[in-house]
Amino acid sequence: MAQAIDDGPEARKPLNEAARPTAQEEDALLRESLKRCSASTFEAASQFRKTKNTEHLPAIILGIIERFVEPDLRAKLRDPDDDLRLIEDLGIDSLTMMEIVILVEEVLQMSINNEELRHLRTIGDVKQFIECKVRGLPLPKPTKFLPIEQIAVIMPIQPPFLFLSEASVNSHGANAKYKISGQEFFLQGHFKDNPVLPASIMLEAIGQLAVLFLLEGGICEPGKVVDPKTIFFTSCEGVRCHRICRPGDVLSISVKPKRMKMPLATFEGAIRVGQEKAAMAEEITLTFGLADAVVVEPAKVAVVNNEPVPLPTAISA
Amino acid sequence: MRKVYITGIGLITSIGNDVPTVTQNLGALRHGFELYPPFQKPDIPVKVVGTIKDFATDSPDPEDWRYPPRYTIKREVLRGLAPNSLFAYCAMLQAINDARLAPEDVSNLDTGLYAASGGSPFLTHYHHARMLQVGVLRCSPLGIVASIAGTLNFNLVATFRIYGASCGFSSACASSSHALAFAYDEIATGRQKRMFVVGAEDCNTDSILPFAGMRALSLQTNPDLASRPFDLNRDGFVGTGGGAVLVVESGEEVERRGVRTYCEMAGWGQASDGYNVAISHPEGSGLRVAMTNALRQTGIEPEAVDYVNAHATSTPIGDTSEAKALKAVFQEATMRPAISSTKALTGHGLSLAGAMESAFCAIALKEGFIPGSANITRLDPACEGLNIIRSTLSQQPRVVLNNSSGFGGANVCIVLRQA
Repeated sequence: MAQAIDDGPEARKPLNEAARPTAQEEDALLRESLKRCSASTFEAASQFRKTKNTEHLPAIILGIIERFVEPDLRAKLRDPDDDLRLIEDLGIDSLTMMEIVILVEEVLQMSINNEELRHLRTIGDVKQFIECKVRGLPLPKPTKFLPIEQIAVIMPIQPPFLFLSEASVNSHGANAKYKISGQEFFLQGHFKDNPVLPASIMLEAIGQLAVLFLLEGGICEPGKVVDPKTIFFTSCEGVRCHRICRPGDVLSISVKPKRMKMPLATFEGAIRVGQEKAAMAEEITLTFGLADAVVVEPAKVAVVNNEPVPLPTAISA
Repeated sequence: MRKVYITGIGLITSIGNDVPTVTQNLGALRHGFELYPPFQKPDIPVKVVGTIKDFATDSPDPEDWRYPPRYTIKREVLRGLAPNSLFAYCAMLQAINDARLAPEDVSNLDTGLYAASGGSPFLTHYHHARMLQVGVLRCSPLGIVASIAGTLNFNLVATFRIYGASCGFSSACASSSHALAFAYDEIATGRQKRMFVVGAEDCNTDSILPFAGMRALSLQTNPDLASRPFDLNRDGFVGTGGGAVLVVESGEEVERRGVRTYCEMAGWGQASDGYNVAISHPEGSGLRVAMTNALRQTGIEPEAVDYVNAHATSTPIGDTSEAKALKAVFQEATMRPAISSTKALTGHGLSLAGAMESAFCAIALKEGFIPGSANITRLDPACEGLNIIRSTLSQQPRVVLNNSSGFGGANVCIVLRQA
């Protein structure tokens, strides 16, 4: 039918060209959309549109987020840390999140639905989510945040020997915090009138976080889960301590998986106190076994309850 | 009933963006009119506006706006504002400072905020057009709260962490007088100790020009002659916008904080014309009853009134109605109050008018003068017998009335008294 009224490709050409913005116009529109972002954000976006190279995505996304963060908090974005939390660390509320999404959609010429946004809690989540979207990959599992109560439900290790008081886990690794209270039983003797966290306990804390990672996100085998009763320490390499940790210090513990092959899982791990390195482990290896998924159902239920705060889809009005 | 006082004022108006400047211009009868650039086109017959100086709010994007550098506004606040709520935000900061309120005085369960604006037709139009152009999900999430008529109370209550009573008033040009009146009631009855009363309007094509449709705007091209309430040759009002904030407090709070006041607010009255959706009653019946009710509630005799700040907007019908109402109220009085319309200087601020002009009256009571009615060359014979003063009197008024009338024939009369 269309051909019946078509005057041929020549007659269509000018109409099409008039309707579609030229590359120059597209660039001008993009520049206008990103006028309050850094010049490098525009450059990255412009390059991305030409090459579709996903290497540009982090610069675009960080640039757009930075534009919506209050100036006094922007310093946090200068040394981009994937664990930076959008709400708690950057003061981004759900409405600002919508503004960010609208601009990302416009710049990357894609659309994002509200449901997909619910789970984005950190800069790393956002970067990974956008990259998966753009490359057409399945969307990543969202970062899970676990308070002490849930950590205790999941872990085979229990107080007073549990050194994780809050944790977040995603497919790239896990982070946790532990504040040295001064009440830890071993500090009475380590040392006499001079409480110092033992280096072995620092290594223990890294190992515990690796256990949490294994139980919470590490292994995907249908119908199977890691059995908490089967996880044990195997070996470590390149362990160094850099800083003495005392009561009052807040340890920021992180682990990233390096190799994962039944029955061994190898991680790299680190502890910081503020910006200072406290301890590093180039490698720490655990052994583990699997069990049928049903076995640890109670732990799973506990995790399901940890829904991230939903974005309000309506505003009270 | 508790006593109620006005303790702080903030003003962004065509005749000044702070109380000292406004006080000087009120006394000297210096107007704030200009040929408004967007109106200087052949197809727009209206030319003059009471412009707001040192603010540029032409862009629909608040981050493009310019405002005096003494105001710093976070982006998370700015993005939800309309031009009128920007003016009000700045006036709010002035009023808090003027009343010497500490943060804990602003933010507590006994302090509320009543507000009035017509919303922002400019932003409503922009956001609707954008929705049609780019789709629903690409619209600003703050478009609605920035544009609709409650934008003042939404923004100010949230930003200034108001925990007491809050709401918006919508009786067109009587709106912010209603807000002040009901704020008085909150304090007089002991429900609240302190209220912020806010009136504000955009000052742009979308907020002003639609009034040309009902032939209510002056077509004068000379800014010195455009607004002339009570003059025989008046031909309509001159539009303006801006923001006005009054801090109203109980006597106990004034005593506790040990602050000076502008004046006492003695009470108020209201009545409706029940006559026409847009035209005032030819005999000014609702306004007459509003004034009578206000005097009765406050126990003040007509001859005790020293000054009436008239609603008179410079429209042919409206000013005549008000003149008739004033004659009816004061015909028996042995002393006639001085009468003027300060809209000859500012233009008509619509929802803003009541709060702005009550603030002018409070300034007059505190500073001891009565602002004149500017631009009268030939007094309308319909006003004969009224003491319409053409120049400012350096005379201390003791009792002052402020009249406001809105669409649908809503009339409010506010009574202020020397503290």
